[in-house]
Amino acid sequence: MKRYWKFIIPAAIVVIVLVVLVFSLNSSLVYFNTPTELAEQAPGDGRLRLGGQVVAGTVTDTTGGVTFEVTDGREAVTVVHVGAPQQLFQEGVGVVVEGTWDGHEFHSDTMLIKHDENYDSEKYKSGDKSYELQHPSGDESDQA
Amino acid sequence: MQAQTRNRQWPWVAIGLSLAVAFTLSMVSPADSVQGDLVRIMYVHVPAAWLAYLAFFVTFVGSVGYLTTKDLRWDRIAAASAEIGVYFTGLAIALGMIWAKPTWGVWWTWDARLTLTAIMFFVYLGYLALRRTTDDPVIRAGRSSVLGVLGALQIPLVHFSVVWWRTLHQPPSLVRPDGPAIQDPLMLTALIVGVLAFTIVYGSLMVKRIELIKLDDQKAAIEQSIERPVAGEAVTVPDLGASS
Repeated sequence: MKRYWKFIIPAAIVVIVLVVLVFSLNSSLVYFNTPTELAEQAPGDGRLRLGGQVVAGTVTDTTGGVTFEVTDGREAVTVVHVGAPQQLFQEGVGVVVEGTWDGHEFHSDTMLIKHDENYDSEKYKSGDKSYELQHPSGDESDQA
Repeated sequence: MQAQTRNRQWPWVAIGLSLAVAFTLSMVSPADSVQGDLVRIMYVHVPAAWLAYLAFFVTFVGSVGYLTTKDLRWDRIAAASAEIGVYFTGLAIALGMIWAKPTWGVWWTWDARLTLTAIMFFVYLGYLALRRTTDDPVIRAGRSSVLGVLGALQIPLVHFSVVWWRTLHQPPSLVRPDGPAIQDPLMLTALIVGVLAFTIVYGSLMVKRIELIKLDDQKAAIEQSIERPVAGEAVTVPDLGASS
């Protein structure tokens, strides 16, 4: 009977931790709101996270920071950011900003870059697929 | 007396060669168009995270094997794999943090992927601690096998966290329904070779670690068979009455 409990106690702890995580914390596992979700939300002082892509042509430098629009493809929200933008900040990049929502503008003081899963070199992207020439079925004269 | 444990040398050669090849490829592959040279951290971060999954899955297999057969050889596999898994989980977290600071802008944030990975790291640290709670190999194998099975539930949870929940961490680049999201063939090769090289490192470390566990077991068996004096036998009663 004593040995039985030695199996049950660690097993129960792990199961409880997993259940608590997956079910009761389900909403906090969502890291940020989309512009569509934000547009439906009432303005307030509560701090929120807003995530989306920086809309091209909307980035304007201000004295204390930068303003830009963030979109999820459906809605776009204007973000007034105070502070230096991140190193990888640019048009089209994914961002997550933290701050408050006043009903038409999002006032942010913290910016994170959410880069996507796509990777490519500048050379390959620009159309120079020269690695393919080394393939045996390619131009043989190169290897001669 | 048990058969003598072999002291194989080829694992060290395999580790050295595979890491040298992977390192060279990660350095000659081109920089990323968005991240620049920072992308090179990926060639170590992704293979380290892959080994964490692989190692904890092998711990799961070893645990199930022990529970069904009660053969301690399965438990040795589970134990060796968990140690290697904890090391590579820690490495993946550390490299991820070094990568996150210049790209995301923070060392750490509590999104689903990062939080669940940290929990997985601590659960398997707990597994290693649990193994030290007793000297009895049979009791130890029983206890840790249960945790080895339950802990493995986290592997899909960690991996799919970036798909199931909205996270800061990006979704997988390599294993995707519509093929890898890495366009440049040299970058893709560097990542795949990195994953293969780390898998060879894992196999080699497993061979050496299991050798060491066998030696430890032999040492414990020898120590138990030696007749030793009773604890405290060397202590003599102080002569308190002489001075008075």
